[in-house]
Amino acid sequence: MRFHIYRFDPDVDPRPRMQAYDLPDSPADRMLLDALVRLKDMDDSLSFRRSCREGVCGSDAMNINGRNGLACIQPLHALKQPVVLRPLPGFPVIRDLIVDMTQFFAHYEAVRPYLINDQPPPERERLQSPQARDSLNGLYECILCACCSGFCPSYWWNPDKFIGPAGLLQAYRFIADSRDTATAERLADLDDVYKLYRCRTIMNCTEVCPKQLSPSRAIERIRLALTKASI
Amino acid sequence: MAVRPEALAGRRNPAGLPRFLNLFAIRFPIGAIASIGHRLSGACLVLAMLWLPDTLARSLRSQGDYDALLAAWRSPWMAPLEFLILWAFCYHVLAGLRHLLMDVGVGARLPAARASARLVLGLGFAIALVLLVARRWP
Amino acid sequence: MRQFTGQRAWLVQRLSALLLLCATAALGIYLLIEGPPGYPAWLAFARHPAGSTLILAVTAALCLHGWVGARDVVLDYLHRPAWRLCVLALVATALGLVFLRVLVVLAATLAHAP
Repeated sequence: MRFHIYRFDPDVDPRPRMQAYDLPDSPADRMLLDALVRLKDMDDSLSFRRSCREGVCGSDAMNINGRNGLACIQPLHALKQPVVLRPLPGFPVIRDLIVDMTQFFAHYEAVRPYLINDQPPPERERLQSPQARDSLNGLYECILCACCSGFCPSYWWNPDKFIGPAGLLQAYRFIADSRDTATAERLADLDDVYKLYRCRTIMNCTEVCPKQLSPSRAIERIRLALTKASI
Repeated sequence: MAVRPEALAGRRNPAGLPRFLNLFAIRFPIGAIASIGHRLSGACLVLAMLWLPDTLARSLRSQGDYDALLAAWRSPWMAPLEFLILWAFCYHVLAGLRHLLMDVGVGARLPAARASARLVLGLGFAIALVLLVARRWP
Repeated sequence: MRQFTGQRAWLVQRLSALLLLCATAALGIYLLIEGPPGYPAWLAFARHPAGSTLILAVTAALCLHGWVGARDVVLDYLHRPAWRLCVLALVATALGLVFLRVLVVLAATLAHAP
């Protein structure tokens, strides 16, 4: 199987380059990550992040044949050859397929991704109806892999000021949570020129989410909530 | 270790590291094509708007000016420009309608969004063509 | 209470879009049924208080809608403050002048009543 992989060693390369690899087929290989691990056996300098190998940690997000995805759940047989692997678009490249996620996580922390409820805690749980709990479906499952933000043109042009689809999805996860009491502050915080309103509903995010989540829908809900709050 | 985003504001690439942003190497979904079309057509229309006051003034000045204005846009030389503006307008309106509907949740799910993107791209071109032909048909 | 800022631009864009959509539909239906108006009918429309107000409202909506759109494009692609200021000022001036000129044209048309 033929691969073209983005290589960049800051200590050696003046600029990134593409390197071709020919990997002998193996029946044991099912997912792209299997191939990458064998490629690393061939060339130990090839670097990429990986951990759970089952699509829940989000470590191995990368650009696969032009679209973002997780290497560990990308079936090899579905990939057109040569398989072209590049790091997440728009993210600073530390080395090969490893990108700097600092800004991405900073945006996540900026939306205060934790329950805010200053009322005295009840004896047991803060209760929530099954319907209220259902409203969190499609929001809590985010693994922060950055496939979405790495495919969002608005995030490419303003990664420092636009929160990005992942951060906004998590912001909505807490706006929608019936147990959270800081809804008004959360909404007001998102209402500025950049944080939320750079989104143009291009929907690239929803196209590439490996967990089939819809950040565009979450952003649409935040906008409606903001509009309702201003009437 | 947490970094406040304000500390990174204004620095789109704080570490000065390379970034992969070769748009030709990225496989854009149909929705992205529809979106860039919306932006390009909008830019064309804003530019075309600069001619609006002058066109309005001429159309109101006299019968002769009015007729000349309509006749000018019938000349074959103006056909490509007229098509461009018609296409930009039709496409921008249809794509805008798609956005307005998505704002209220209609067609916001992925399969519907893809289908509506294709529809808008095709319909915009088709309607512009029909309008151009209809206007110039003797 | 914080003033809603990013949202204001978004609402202006959406509301002006709705107005323009209605105007386009109305114009489209009129042209389909009646065909292009003759000069006397067009002049009478522009002189009529309702007609001239409509033309002005549509122009205002166009300028506001165009402004929000152009601003979005500038905010996306131009990051250096000097460039931003120049281009935004240019666009704002151009669109502002479009509106003012249309106002002047309509006023002149009203003034030259036969």
